[in-house]
Amino acid sequence: MTKFITNRRQFIKSSAAGAALVAAPAYLRSTAARASGVVNVWTYANFIPDDFKAEFEKDTGIEIQIRLVDDQGKQFNLLAAEAPNPTADIVTVAGHRFLQFISADLLAPLDTDRLGNWSNINPIYSESDWATINGNKWGAPILSGAEILAYNTEVVSEDEVKSWDVLFSDKYSGQTAYTIQDMMSVVMLYKGYDGNMVAYMDDPEKAAEIVAEARDFLIEKKPHVRKYYDAGAEVQQMFINQDIVLAHAWNGPIAKLITDGFPVDMTIPKEGTYGFVYTLNVANNAPNSDNAYKLLDALLANPEVGAEMTKSSGFISTYKGADQYLSDIEKKASSFTEEELAGLQFFRAEANEMKYKLVDPAVEQIKAA
Amino acid sequence: MAQAETQRADLQEPSTPAGRMTFWGALMRNGVYQAVSTTLFKSQRRQFWILASLPLFWIFFANLGPIVEMFWIGFLDSYPPKVGYEPQFTLANWAAFFQDRVFIIPFFRTLAFSFIFTAITLLITYPVAYFLAKHVSRKNQLLFLLLLLIPFWVGEIVRTYAIMILLGNNGAVNLALKSLGLIERPIPFMYTGFSLGVGIIYLTALYMLLPLYSALEKLPDNYLEAAADLGAGAWTRFRRITLPLSKEGIASGCTLVFLISTGYYATPVLLGGPRSTVFAETIAGFFHVAGDQWPMGAAFSSIMLIATLGVTGLFLKLMGRDGKGMMR
Repeated sequence: MTKFITNRRQFIKSSAAGAALVAAPAYLRSTAARASGVVNVWTYANFIPDDFKAEFEKDTGIEIQIRLVDDQGKQFNLLAAEAPNPTADIVTVAGHRFLQFISADLLAPLDTDRLGNWSNINPIYSESDWATINGNKWGAPILSGAEILAYNTEVVSEDEVKSWDVLFSDKYSGQTAYTIQDMMSVVMLYKGYDGNMVAYMDDPEKAAEIVAEARDFLIEKKPHVRKYYDAGAEVQQMFINQDIVLAHAWNGPIAKLITDGFPVDMTIPKEGTYGFVYTLNVANNAPNSDNAYKLLDALLANPEVGAEMTKSSGFISTYKGADQYLSDIEKKASSFTEEELAGLQFFRAEANEMKYKLVDPAVEQIKAA
Repeated sequence: MAQAETQRADLQEPSTPAGRMTFWGALMRNGVYQAVSTTLFKSQRRQFWILASLPLFWIFFANLGPIVEMFWIGFLDSYPPKVGYEPQFTLANWAAFFQDRVFIIPFFRTLAFSFIFTAITLLITYPVAYFLAKHVSRKNQLLFLLLLLIPFWVGEIVRTYAIMILLGNNGAVNLALKSLGLIERPIPFMYTGFSLGVGIIYLTALYMLLPLYSALEKLPDNYLEAAADLGAGAWTRFRRITLPLSKEGIASGCTLVFLISTGYYATPVLLGGPRSTVFAETIAGFFHVAGDQWPMGAAFSSIMLIATLGVTGLFLKLMGRDGKGMMR
């Protein structure tokens, strides 16, 4: 056998260096998560504007470390996996997913007394029924959005998008895209049912029938769809590449396309749709909760920040007076007509457990069909 | 004896020019250190194990550890752990796979896709590897290999987006066909089995090419010359000499490409369409959905791993490679 170690001194040095290397990741992780000048934020792309981030870091000396998320379920699982000692200080939860996070003990109640700028949020959002659970507030609403019908204005006419029918039509076969999970709720609504499934909480059989009907409908229409997508960036890419001319989407990514001058528009069809509100929440047992509150208060400080958030994400700001700081095209991209808004209702969480136990397998069945 | 001499030499007292005892000198005079080091370095076998311990630790805990843990999670009824709830052992996650065709369809689709893509990759890269190994000078071989390697310096996602840019309705291929007057409307290449195949083959080609090139380069030219002298035609020479002697490269390349193809997730998500959902997407779905779906995802991942290893083992057996990697 070859002689591997010729010098013990070398061996000890190497071993020490090796041990240090092995130990380093754990040390770095713990210090990164708990450094006093840090706040760890899990949020969606473009939710925290770059200019605000730079200014906040300069003014406070607190570094904002952003980890991008693109899915509520994924975020829930990651946070649950880290509980009870999360690396996140702030997470971004959609209002209708609150219950799930709260019942899993993943969020800390929000102490609004520590947020001097809380009153800058439009009460429509901050004081709505979904915002208070078990007598507590759980998050600061920052942006609102909706499931909308997006269309290429050079190909599809305004009259054609009055109904969700167009998304399933032969005319635009192979030129449409949607996210199946969200589309299930929209299809239930389109067929005249309660997509939130709150109406069927006492009738699980009826709920199962409705989900099966929506599932079968989407399987039947599968030959018409070009792509089931997951992320907002994907739908933007497909519109730009002209792979699609119609899509179910969230208003944020489409608003960005509109402000970039791409020939696309969005609408809420007559059958209606669902809206949602993104909130920033302090994680339970957050390592830097003081910094988290500093960041939240700074974000809520003035409507200009809200407008910046709208500009960078495309979603609608929840701040009072934020629209004053938007250009005409930005306002157009982040607003709907009265007629459209009449069909908008918010996602609700009460029946989520029953709903997603039915919807999740249905989604897999649609994919596999 | 020689070893003991070496050890004694190691114990010579290192000191500074000023004659002061160094840290190392003090350490080596320490009785505990001497006893420990003598025990540790008693034989070369021990030295080997000491040196090998860190790599072995890495292999077993960093590589195999997560797989073993994933396998175990597949037998739990709840994961991640909830406060105040002790997860129970269950076989339900494994049974679920066989109870619903919803899961079996993408599973077999993935295996079929991987098999087809592996075969196509082999057909495309074999001539390239042969050309590189037999018809390019030594100096230029390195240059060509470097050119082939360059795309691998960027990530999978970037290369996948490159395919999207090429194959999109507004992509380079459609624009070229349009400008040549060959089409009026763009051909919908994207979000089909075709675009998925192009992506996977592009991403895995090098894993096939390098083992093939390595095997073909070792093929002695005089074998082929001798066969030609004996009257063998080009096809016979290929069938009787080149192909059998490159079998090792084919086995390695196909194994690598097949295993990698079955595990790709981002590429099928970005390039595939509604009718080309692969099993990796099904598995990912369990991890994206909130709730107790991780055990199901872990069980399905384990099933996929066992299946791909089984198929690979069968393939290697058919190729005539024994456990030592030797040709029979």
